[in-house]
Amino acid sequence: MLNAEGKNWIIRFRLKLIVLYFLKALFFSLGLGIALMPVAVHLGINSCLALTIVSLLVIATIMIIKPIWKITRYQVSNYLNAKFPELEESAVLFLNEEQELSLLEKFQVEKINTVFPIANSLTTPLKKLGLSFFFLMMCIGVNHYLSFSRVIPKSSLFNAHQKTVKEHVLPEIADFTLKISPPAYTRKGTRLQRQFTLKAEAGASVAWHIKTTVPVKKLRIIFNDKEIVEVNSHGEFSKIINQPGFYQLELDGKKSELYPIEVIPDLPVSIKMIEPKSHTTIDIGQLPKVNLRVLLNDDYGINDAYISATVSSGKGEGVSFTAKKLNFNADFRGKKSISLNKVLNLTALGMKPGDELYFFIQATDNHAQQSRSDVYLVSIVDTTELMSMAGMANGVDLVPEYFRSQRQIIIDTEKLLKEQGVLTTDEFKNRSNELGIDQKLLRLRYGKFLGEESETTIGGEHDHEETPAFGDVKALMDEYAHKHDIAEDATFFEPELKMQLKAVLNEMWSSELQLRIYKPQEALPFEYKALRLLKDLQQKSRVYVAKTALKTTKLKLEKRLSGELDKIVQPTQKVNFENTNQSVEELKLLLAVLEQLKAGKLFNYGERELLKAGEKQLIIAAENEPNSYLPALKSLHKLSIATKVRRYDIDEVQKAIQRLLGVETLKPQAKTASPEINLYRSYFNHLKNGI
Amino acid sequence: MEFNYGVMLVCLAFTVFIIGKEIQRTDKSRLIIRVLASILLGTSFALLILPIHYLIKKEKPAGELNYDTERNNHFADLNYHLKAHPEIKKINIYGYGLNSEELIKLKDFQLSFHPLAGPSGIISASWPMKIKASEQLNVQGIYNNTTHKAVKLKLLGLGISLDSVMLKANTKLNFSFSIQPKQIGKAIFNIVAMQGKDTVSIEPVPFEVEPKESISVLILASSPDFEYKFLKKWLFENQYAVAFRSQISKNKYNTEFLNRNVVNLNQIHQDLLKSIDLVICDEDELSPEIFKAVNNGMGLIVRKAGKIKTDSRLYGMGKIVTTPITSTYEWQLAGKLVEYSRFWSLLFAKSLRKKLESQSFEIVPQWPTINEKARLILSLSDTKPPLIAVNEIKIAPRQNMELPFVWDGVFWPKTVGWTNISINQKTESIYTYEVEDWIAAKKNAKLQHTANFVANQPKRDLKDNKVETVITEELSKWWAFIVFLATISFLWYEKRFLHLRSRDRTS
Repeated sequence: MLNAEGKNWIIRFRLKLIVLYFLKALFFSLGLGIALMPVAVHLGINSCLALTIVSLLVIATIMIIKPIWKITRYQVSNYLNAKFPELEESAVLFLNEEQELSLLEKFQVEKINTVFPIANSLTTPLKKLGLSFFFLMMCIGVNHYLSFSRVIPKSSLFNAHQKTVKEHVLPEIADFTLKISPPAYTRKGTRLQRQFTLKAEAGASVAWHIKTTVPVKKLRIIFNDKEIVEVNSHGEFSKIINQPGFYQLELDGKKSELYPIEVIPDLPVSIKMIEPKSHTTIDIGQLPKVNLRVLLNDDYGINDAYISATVSSGKGEGVSFTAKKLNFNADFRGKKSISLNKVLNLTALGMKPGDELYFFIQATDNHAQQSRSDVYLVSIVDTTELMSMAGMANGVDLVPEYFRSQRQIIIDTEKLLKEQGVLTTDEFKNRSNELGIDQKLLRLRYGKFLGEESETTIGGEHDHEETPAFGDVKALMDEYAHKHDIAEDATFFEPELKMQLKAVLNEMWSSELQLRIYKPQEALPFEYKALRLLKDLQQKSRVYVAKTALKTTKLKLEKRLSGELDKIVQPTQKVNFENTNQSVEELKLLLAVLEQLKAGKLFNYGERELLKAGEKQLIIAAENEPNSYLPALKSLHKLSIATKVRRYDIDEVQKAIQRLLGVETLKPQAKTASPEINLYRSYFNHLKNGI
Repeated sequence: MEFNYGVMLVCLAFTVFIIGKEIQRTDKSRLIIRVLASILLGTSFALLILPIHYLIKKEKPAGELNYDTERNNHFADLNYHLKAHPEIKKINIYGYGLNSEELIKLKDFQLSFHPLAGPSGIISASWPMKIKASEQLNVQGIYNNTTHKAVKLKLLGLGISLDSVMLKANTKLNFSFSIQPKQIGKAIFNIVAMQGKDTVSIEPVPFEVEPKESISVLILASSPDFEYKFLKKWLFENQYAVAFRSQISKNKYNTEFLNRNVVNLNQIHQDLLKSIDLVICDEDELSPEIFKAVNNGMGLIVRKAGKIKTDSRLYGMGKIVTTPITSTYEWQLAGKLVEYSRFWSLLFAKSLRKKLESQSFEIVPQWPTINEKARLILSLSDTKPPLIAVNEIKIAPRQNMELPFVWDGVFWPKTVGWTNISINQKTESIYTYEVEDWIAAKKNAKLQHTANFVANQPKRDLKDNKVETVITEELSKWWAFIVFLATISFLWYEKRFLHLRSRDRTS
């Protein structure tokens, strides 16, 4: 194998050439694609898509023009022959089979074979590759520069998020910028904008900088159509914006269109209480602590928040209040949103059973605006009050037997607990179970009020599971008609009362459960709660007025209405309604005038006056709500000066006027009768007189 | 005509000439025959040129005519065609029919109507041309949707969409819009029919809102109370004239006069009540004088305890509303002013004395259209001839034969939109529609009208009916030519053969 080395080398060389050519083509096409990306962005096409398409197209074109993979070994060897004289035009010989070579050729192969591998054989393709790589880098650079130059005008000062509003700028204005410096509390930076439509934070200082194409003697800004300010010779003017409204520029008497000023107000802190509920009751057995969880939100920052708590203790005339300010141990530091937690220890606040705690949360934002939450109430149940017989001694006792029973159960439970130490376990369990039975009986008795039937459910919810016999119409109907709802006892109580009664039964259930599993200590809170709810119930159904004694003197009937009245003057009043506010009437008339304008009728003098009156009212409205009324005001301006009116402008003004007018209440009106009623009336009179 | 006479003269001269020639001939044989032939020759020659007409009575079978109002017929004008074809006795009308003017002209024909299916669109609509301020405008109508798509009807007015309704495909549905127009004066609302995003039609709804008129109210309270106090205040703020009297002791009254002049209210008498539109009082304050006034048309609202519901009944020419509701002021206190106003406006509307108008008018047809005949029908309170002018052009009024206070006049609107008409110096407005406006409704009206007209026509049997007509026919020129040929042949033959033969014989 004389020529094997050379042959292999040529084959490898061919592969290298192909790879290099591919790389070159790839770099070139990518470069072209990247260079065209900014163009695509300018045309509004997805740049990545453009890149892919352009690159693929270019690479495909190159491949079609010069299908490099089709290059044969012989072509490669010819190339080598031409490139390297040391091969002595004999590279082809390496590709031929050894047997086919003549003797001379074999000698030549042997001679040339030493040349391989040829040094620096890939220099030219590598150079070309380098060139294409350079092209790619250039293109990336161009792309970078172009996209940068596009971003440059949007420096950080300009608000990139701001919606651009289409607005007409006077042709005399060459350039303008509005510099909005929001007040410190917003902690926002100064921003620039190139549009007159203004949206600024309350208290922001706005500086106009206007350059004109021609020198103007007078450049003025008119705020809300009444406040006129001169802009200095440099075209600069600044103002602190507190109120919404609108403004327009005036260049030597030439007025621009109206631009709205919208104010972003600073809202007070919003306080959202997650825990506790508006009314919390601490029952016996519960820890005298209240978990407080609250969420504060503000648009710029919260400065401070505290709990203002008031404890009321005592009863009747002996009631006393103590107010306290409790701080959250939290770091506000102007956070926009904060979640606060605090445990109110009622005993630490000096609360005893029967006392009530009222509290609310007061928050201040960084603009010193204060807001406060609703008032929340926490009360500790006074067990001694519950157990007292007051209220029953009055003799108005709806359910004394049952009521006393619940009390009795509590007393017995407490007694049992007291005696726990001396009793045997069996006896303790036995008594606890007996108390549970008592509780059950009591529950069943109350359950009757709700139409409760079974021992296992609360509040009369029960299933009818029997399948009715075939053809039994009544049974079938029972399935659909809930009979108990129409029974008398179903209307025994108000729905609200029923709800409460259900709650009582629920507590009794729980208490019974605890008693049955020999845990009287755990049953006690439920028993107390049941008692408390029962007492509430009792109070609710007891509304009566105390008897009072009143004696009146007896009337002397013969003396009635016999007084002398001749000196009594009859009072007479005469008033006329002065309608000082003609605005509504004017607006209504203006609507009809505008309607005529639609038909092509021009304004006469009186109608122009109406237009002016309407404009005044629209200005007032636009001052407060520039966004909703300013377009209408602009349209009205156009209508009053334009010779050719646009339907759109009329509609816009009419819409705004209708909004201004609002809802109108009905006024009584007499019906009208046309003259032919005379005929009917004479017929009627004839009938009447004829009979 | 001159041509005819010329021909006659020439022929006469020619006849005289040839007669002279015949007479002058030496051979006098067959002279009479020759003269006669010459006269006949001249006459027939003249007749060759001059047409001769004669009348003839003919009997023809009665003809039928198919007339399609929606398509082009083979003749230009129906009436003209009918005159030209007197044999036509029966007309089959196709399409949407004809209007009343055209129908009247066809009353002597036997008509049969083959209507098209009802037009698609708003086939009928109505609304008041005039409403009072704060009243609702009710637009009602029927939409015939023959398409397979749902239609959305919208009422647009004063720049906003006020109300809308969806109409299913292939249905005929009644629709009703009710809105409170905000303007005072004239306005044109639009009913727009939309199918998806396509506008099917835009129909104008012109109407006028009149400023509210003052009402004179008298309130008689047997004792002062909140109800009256609030009612009085409400009326006062709405600028109605109120006279208020409440008894404070025996024959002692507290009186208040709001937005009106002071009168003595101690005695309620007819002269006072004549100027009052409505009395609101307690049951105790009722008197025969009040009932007498109600009988003459005054309204009365009585507060009567113990009644269950508010009701209204007629009493003579007036109305009495009785109500047990005595604490409506609570609604005002609760801020429900809209409900309060609605309640009292309803009671007022049910009882108030009607305002008599001195004149009222009506335009026929319902949609007066540009360049189409319109009729103004006027009702007056007297029988004097009214002065009517439409756009300052005077119209001659015509008095109704049976009702002397009704007059009418005909005019042709020339401009679209609002037109001023003045009736006895009072200016009113009417609206003239475009030809395309309310086209479906107009078609439907025509259809109904034609169907009615045809149905109410006396039945005539025209089976094998012959129509006798007198027709002018022209005498054929051939007759004259034959006579001409015969006479000239005779004269030639006589001269050529008979005359020669006799000459030969004589020679």
